[in-house]
This record gives sequence, C-alpha cells and structure tokens, in this order.
Amino acid sequence: MLTVDHVSVRRGTIATLQDISLSLGPNRTLAVVGESGAGKSTLIGAILGLVPCNLGHITWDNAPVHRCRPALVMQEPRSAFNPRMSLRRSVMEPLVARGILADPARLDTLCHGLEIAPDLLDRRPTEVSIGQAQRMGILRALIAKPPLVLFDEPLSALDAVTQKHTARLIAQMQHEEGFASLIVTHDLGYAAAFADDIAVLRAGRIAEITPSQAFVQTPQTAYGRTLRDAAFALGALERVA
Amino acid sequence: MTITATGLGAIRSGRTILHPTNVDIRPGERVGLVGASGSGKSTLGHALIDRLRAQGRRVAHVPQSPDEALDPLRSMAFHWREAEHALNLSADPTRRQDLFAALQIEGSDLNKRPWGWSRGMQQRFVIAMALIGTPDLLVMDEPTSALDPVVAAGMMDLLDTSLSDRKTALLLITHDLGLAARRVNRLMVMEDGRIVEDAPTERFLLAPVTQAAKSLCAHRNWLELPC
Amino acid sequence: MIGSLGNLFLRTAVVLTGTALATFALLWHAPGDPALAIADARYASIPPAEVVDLIRAEAGLDAGFWPAFQAWVGPLIGGDFGQSSVTGRDVWPELVTAMSYTGPLALAGLSVGLLISVPLALLATQHPGGWLDRCAVALASIGAAIPAYWLGLLLILLFAVQLGWLPAMGARTPAHIILPALTLGLGVAASLTRILRSGILEARDQHFLPAFQRRGVANRDIERDHVVPHAAIPVVTVFGLELAFLLEGVVMVEVIFARPGLGSFLVNAIEARDFPKVQAVVVLTAVLFVTVNLLIDLIYHALDPRIGERDA
Repeated sequence: MLTVDHVSVRRGTIATLQDISLSLGPNRTLAVVGESGAGKSTLIGAILGLVPCNLGHITWDNAPVHRCRPALVMQEPRSAFNPRMSLRRSVMEPLVARGILADPARLDTLCHGLEIAPDLLDRRPTEVSIGQAQRMGILRALIAKPPLVLFDEPLSALDAVTQKHTARLIAQMQHEEGFASLIVTHDLGYAAAFADDIAVLRAGRIAEITPSQAFVQTPQTAYGRTLRDAAFALGALERVA
Repeated sequence: MTITATGLGAIRSGRTILHPTNVDIRPGERVGLVGASGSGKSTLGHALIDRLRAQGRRVAHVPQSPDEALDPLRSMAFHWREAEHALNLSADPTRRQDLFAALQIEGSDLNKRPWGWSRGMQQRFVIAMALIGTPDLLVMDEPTSALDPVVAAGMMDLLDTSLSDRKTALLLITHDLGLAARRVNRLMVMEDGRIVEDAPTERFLLAPVTQAAKSLCAHRNWLELPC
Repeated sequence: MIGSLGNLFLRTAVVLTGTALATFALLWHAPGDPALAIADARYASIPPAEVVDLIRAEAGLDAGFWPAFQAWVGPLIGGDFGQSSVTGRDVWPELVTAMSYTGPLALAGLSVGLLISVPLALLATQHPGGWLDRCAVALASIGAAIPAYWLGLLLILLFAVQLGWLPAMGARTPAHIILPALTLGLGVAASLTRILRSGILEARDQHFLPAFQRRGVANRDIERDHVVPHAAIPVVTVFGLELAFLLEGVVMVEVIFARPGLGSFLVNAIEARDFPKVQAVVVLTAVLFVTVNLLIDLIYHALDPRIGERDA
C-alpha cells in the first residue's frame, strides 16, 4: 500500500507540493488531474524519490518506496527508448539492472496481454507505431512485476481510438497482475472511466479526492466542477441525463 | 460562395499520403476532419490552404500550438502589424478592438513577446490574428491538444461566437471525435489518405457506414466503450 | 536590472584582479634572475654584482612577492602604469604609441573578415548543399586550419617577393597594412563564415516559419524580421571568442611582418623582464576583453529578451 503522508516539496522559495496525503492499495487506480504547473509531475518525482520531500513521508508497506521498485510509464513513448537498441533489449532492462534472469514465459504472457506481436520486439523504437511503442513502454514497466506503477500522461501522445484501446489493455493487465496504479492525466474522461478515485491537484494542494463516478455527477469543489465542465465542453465526458 | 477544391493530393518520398480528394465547404459551415494519426488529416488541411490561397480565396490557419505560430523574439504588436500588412490592410484600431473583445484578450500588453502571455492567451491571439481579414475559411489543426482542458474549453467557446458573428467557415482537424461532434455540423473521416465518409454530424453518429467511422464512433465516449 | 549590473561589475573586478595577480605571479616565478635580465637589457652586457643588487632594490624585487605586487597594483588603480624598469621612462606613452599601430590593424583585420564572411555566408545559404555552399564550407574549413604565420609567409612570398605589388615589412606607408590585415582577416573570415552559415540555416529551419508563410507574409519580410534576428544570436555569442582570436592573431601577425605595435612591445618587454610593461599590456587586454564581453552581454539581452526574464 502506497502512503503519502503530509508531504511538502519546495523548490527555492516556491512550494510545488503542499501537505499532500493520499493512499493507494493493490489493484486500485488513482487518477491525479489538474492543470499544468499544479504539481502533477513533481508528485510522481517525489514518489519515485527523484525529488526530495521537505516535509512528510512517502512509503510502500511502511518501507521507503524505492524498495518496492515502482515502475514508470512516460508520456512520449518513442523518446522513452534508446533509439539504437532493439525494443527487446530495452524492455528487458529492468531485469538486467537487477541481475534477474529473463523468463521467456513472462515475456510471452505480457506480449499476449498487451497485444504485441512478438516479432515487433526485434525492431527499433522508430520502426513501430506510437501506439505500439507505448505498449512496449507498458511492457517494460511490468516485466519485473512491480507492485506499484506510475503513469505520467500515458495516453496523451496517442489518437482517440488508440487511447481507449491502450487504456483497456492497462486495465486488463492490472486485473491480472494486481499492481497499484497512479495515473497522472489531464483527461477527465480517461480518469472517470478507468480510475477508482480522482484526486484534483491545484497549485500544489489536493483540492479533493472523490470516487470517480461521484466526481462526474457532483464534484465536491468549485474547481472540480470547472474541470468537469471543461471536459463536457470538449466532449471528453458526456453529460449524464 | 461555396469553397471548392478538387483533386487535392500529396506524395512524399514516393508514397501517396493524400489520394486525389475534393472538398466543398459552404459559407459559415462547421466541418470536422477526423481520423487516426497518420491518416493524412493535416496534409489535406495544408493542401487545401495552399489551393485556396492560389485561388485567391481568403483562408486562415491556426496551428496546433501557439509556439508554431509566433516568433518568440517579436512582440505581439509586431505580429499584429505584420499580419495586417500581409493582407494589404492598413492598421485599423477598431477592427483590432473588436477582435480582441470577441476573444477576450483586450487589456493585454501588446508590447510583450509571446512568452510574456499565457499559452491560452497566445492561442486566442493567434485566432484573432487569423480573423483579421474576415476569411472565408479558418483551418484549425488539433487546437486543443497543446492547452489545458479548462483553457481549451474557454477558447473553443469564444471561437464559436466569433465565427458565428463573421460567416467564416471552420475546418476542425482532430483525432478526437468527441471534440469534433460537439463543435461541428458535418463530419469527414479520413483513412489512409482518403476521405472515406462525409455526413452531417447527427446522421454520422447514429449510422456510421465505413469501418473507420464505426471505430471512431464506438470509441467516442470514455464511459460507453464497447466490450 | 540594477542587481544584475552590480553583479556584472563585481564579476569584472574579480576578473581584472585575477588577471593582474596571475601575470605577476607568472613573471615572478619565471626561471632566471629578473634583475640580471633587466641589467642585461639596460647595459647589453653582464654588469658587476653590486649593480645587479642595486637594480633589484630599485625594481622592488628584494621586498618579496606581496610587497612588490602591492607596489605595482597601488598606483595602477589610480591609472598610473608606472615606469619601465629598463629605460625608466613612463610606460603609458609608449603603450599609446604601440596601440596606435595595433588598433588600426585589428580593425582592418576585422573589417576584412566581415567583408568576406557576410556576403559569402549569405550567398552560400541561398542554396544549402549547392556547389557554392559546399565551396564556402570547404574554404572556411581550410581557412580555419591554416596557421596565421604560414598564411602570412605565403602572402609575403606572393605579393611582396614574386609580384612586388605590396610592401611586406614595417609600417611606413598605409599600404604596409594591407598584407597583415589580409592575413588576420582571412582567419577571422573563415570562422565567421561557418558561424554565420549555420546560424542562418538554423534560423530558417524554425518550426514557426511555415505559419508566417501561410499567413501571407512575404518571404523577403520573413528573412528580414524572423530569420536574421535569430541568426544574429549565435553570431554575437561567439564574437567574444572571435576577439580573443583577433588579439592572439594580431600579436603574431605583427611579429611576422615586423610591424611596431603591441606584439613587439610585449615580446621585447618579456625578454627584458620589464615587469611594468608586460603588466600594462596584460591589464589593458583584460580590460578590453571584459568591456567587449560586457557589451556583448548587453547586445545579447537586447536581441533575445528571453534571457534573464524567463527566470523571473
């Protein structure tokens, strides 16, 4: 279980995160939404231990988060890979880094689950479509069976149909593997459809954390309402009659 | 007068990325051009702009991100003057005030350079600039993807009112049928460099014909995905 | 703005102090007895030991490093460069005379460099990858690779010895400046051409330019208003380095062409261990360098206001 306990992060004199508390258990999905500059990426950095916390603690099962070796899926799938390496080598990296022997059956299972044709693994990142590259990114994140996976705008480089397809694959993998997933996104439609809870981040603070179905119906804060109405206006959410 | 372009096409490094295509858009019409990435939407948009300019039609373009429309070393005032000059128009403070009011950017400091403005304001400025010559057609390429949703929604609403005051037609290029369905009254679907379907929005959503259109419709709404 | 100006002055002061201290230390610790070298330069023979001791005391060399440094720096702050330890005459008038030769040569070299590189870069970038472009790149590479002393000798051989068109040695007539200026200018032109060319090509490749074309802005106006200002930024940036190249080149060229000026002034002073003269040249170049870089900083801010304001 991920526990973020009263965490504050400062950069210089500016507080980028203030008094953030949340928790996330196995098989659960939390979507973090908010405008750019609200602190979404800083939160991911803090959980991964890349950004030091000035106050508070972040733990996984009462131990520092890095011990559970969380995985990260990034926004730009192609630039997340070394362009000179075959995708097979890239996706195996988390195992190589830990000195674990690759299990061919595990790779087959993930390829099957993520609908990746095995021969694509021998290509380079530029030789596959963006959607395929992003599924490879997810494959790399999952290969070492992490209990916690962080997704930083995992769909925003994809087109609308591919987005939904990829979102469903992520959800299926989560159902099978049981990892906890924290998704940073600006797309309320995605958050509402696939997350259990939605956390609204505004200017470094959590404005509200609401179960996603309830959020679509009645956000608890005025800012939450603004976000939801914008999603209506852009067709990311359909107004429920 | 209807906007008509026939036989638009494009070949890049020996591959046909846009097959011969005809486009007709009525005055003031709102048309969405949707399709997967790489289907040739932007290419068609650019080809259409170039053709219409060659015909002497007034057509304006708003790129995806204001970064692609503004020079970071030049002030907003400079961009405005330059745009007027490019259309052989003399400076007209009233026109500027009207457009700035329509897009709610009045009172902003024009002596600042683009990066002195927020991105949402930059994008509105680019739209205002596009409307200077009261164009027959405004082509917008993924106008919301570089903006935060709240800002993007505000921008689209302002765009709606500005266009209806001016009889300017809109071609909205996007991969997102959800967005297009809310903003246009006619939809064209592109697949592999061809327009494969072209129908009024309501009929399109109720009865898509081609496989590409069916897939787009099925994946329109996050909360009602097919199993 | 006031804060950053104060910062600039503080930086300038640190650079100047450091330069003065470093040169003094270098000369002080150079092998050989400075008093003996001064005596040698003064009398052109090895004098008796008492005379050398006298010179040592007179030049303040017996007092130790710090007192000697203070004795020199103190008056310098008031603008007094002191007297030559060899001739006993004031350094400043001699320095002015030397600069009256070097200044025009440096300017002439820079002008030759600009006159060649700007048109060449503009022509070359008309058709990137075309034959003219490739020739320009090849010429610039060759020019940058040729050392000034070799180029100078070649020019002397051709124009002075073979053709007899131009004088080679000294600085008696205005025509004497042509060959040294060419030697200096060709080197400057080579590096400037490369910088200008890549600056222009990069500026033309900016991702916002297609939008300006679609807006109907004429290509001529795009070049003038959006390409040139962006191309100027890297050029101005490297201009400070170019100045270092120029100063280094001018000293060498003066020696090759036996021209009076800062080059021979400096070489003679070092040989004679004439501390005040060497120091004067070093401090002068340091001031010049710092001033030019300060100016470049200011121009840079004017060209690209993003610098500095972005952080605010």
